[in-house]
Amino acid sequence: MSQDKCIAFIGLHVLMALGLKNEIRKCGEVRVETFRSYQDFLPLAERMDAYAVSSGIFIRHLDFFLPRKMKTLVVDNIDEYDSGDIIPLSIGASTDEADVESIVGKLLSAISDKVDLPGELSAREKDVLRLIAGGKINKEIADELCISINTVITHRKNISTKLGIKSASGLSLYAMMNGLI
Amino acid sequence: MGLYNRETKLSTAILEHPQLIPVVNRLGIMLGVGDMSIGSICANAHIDPDFFLSMVNTFLDKDYFPVNSKGTFTLEKTVDYLRRTSEFYKRVQLPNVERHFNSLLQRSGGNNNLALLQKFFNSVRTRFDECYAYDNDTLFPSLLSGRVPGNASLSAEGHFEMEERLHDLLCFFVVHLRGEYDPNLCVAVVTALSSLDKDYRQNNRIRNRILTPLMEEMHNNGC
Repeated sequence: MSQDKCIAFIGLHVLMALGLKNEIRKCGEVRVETFRSYQDFLPLAERMDAYAVSSGIFIRHLDFFLPRKMKTLVVDNIDEYDSGDIIPLSIGASTDEADVESIVGKLLSAISDKVDLPGELSAREKDVLRLIAGGKINKEIADELCISINTVITHRKNISTKLGIKSASGLSLYAMMNGLI
Repeated sequence: MGLYNRETKLSTAILEHPQLIPVVNRLGIMLGVGDMSIGSICANAHIDPDFFLSMVNTFLDKDYFPVNSKGTFTLEKTVDYLRRTSEFYKRVQLPNVERHFNSLLQRSGGNNNLALLQKFFNSVRTRFDECYAYDNDTLFPSLLSGRVPGNASLSAEGHFEMEERLHDLLCFFVVHLRGEYDPNLCVAVVTALSSLDKDYRQNNRIRNRILTPLMEEMHNNGC
């Protein structure tokens, strides 16, 4: 990911903006510019590559965001949106931690020049896989990575889906064959 | 309603689903079935046609739920079928995969990934032997003497684990295989594995839908 790419944060609560910035840093190098309102953002809109907006701003400016929906992440402190095609990328109060990484990954992929290989594991998933291969149980993995057990379970599900491998011994073998341990 | 009924010609069913061959073998029918219906073949071989059809339909159709309305599934018949199945895996299908694996390794110029996959296969085999020993030494004798052992769930867990590992091994070949290998011998391993994987999955369905309810019934009756 190039530093030339820029994501606009529009009307986000400061704590949400900080959290999201942190997640984006984990996934790749990309600049973030913060705007307090849509009016502040508008003059620079065409220079931005992707957008993270509150639900209120998204809904009030559908004419701008709908054509750019694949590059727009709707972030709010209410529940996540289940509006299918209209809002493909959203993070809400009940979004699982592991899914946040995946959603941010999708937003970055949409503006990345690099094409991700299908089945490629994220850095966090590789961390989880290494610990599974080391024989750790979910609770130990959660403690070691400072995440919840539910997040570990979600990572495990995502790893199995991406690799097609279900058993712990199979995942250990994959880690060995791919130099992860 | 299952895929097949008493009036279906067994030859038609086998031609449509050749994976039924080991299943009908385990039920006591060998190839050379002629053009008789399932009902007639079962009558000639003194096999309960409802039991036969329940096994065949459960094996083929993941949505089929057999109903034991006429007491079709007795413990004796079900255990006998599952014993024959395990014997078939132990004596025929697992050695078949092993034979192809050995040839593949010999002709693939020291491919480290294949050596690791063979090690994984050996661990699958060891797990199978544990399940086989538990079923034959503990679970089946206990059930046939009218008692459900306290740790009966070990059997289902073990066979489910086997199912997962077989699937994983197949997936390693199809999705993650690297390095040089003999393609023809690789096809032989994948074909043998795929046949075992499918049979195992379908047979686990028979365990879950026929043996497990029988055990639950025994348990509820205080056995």
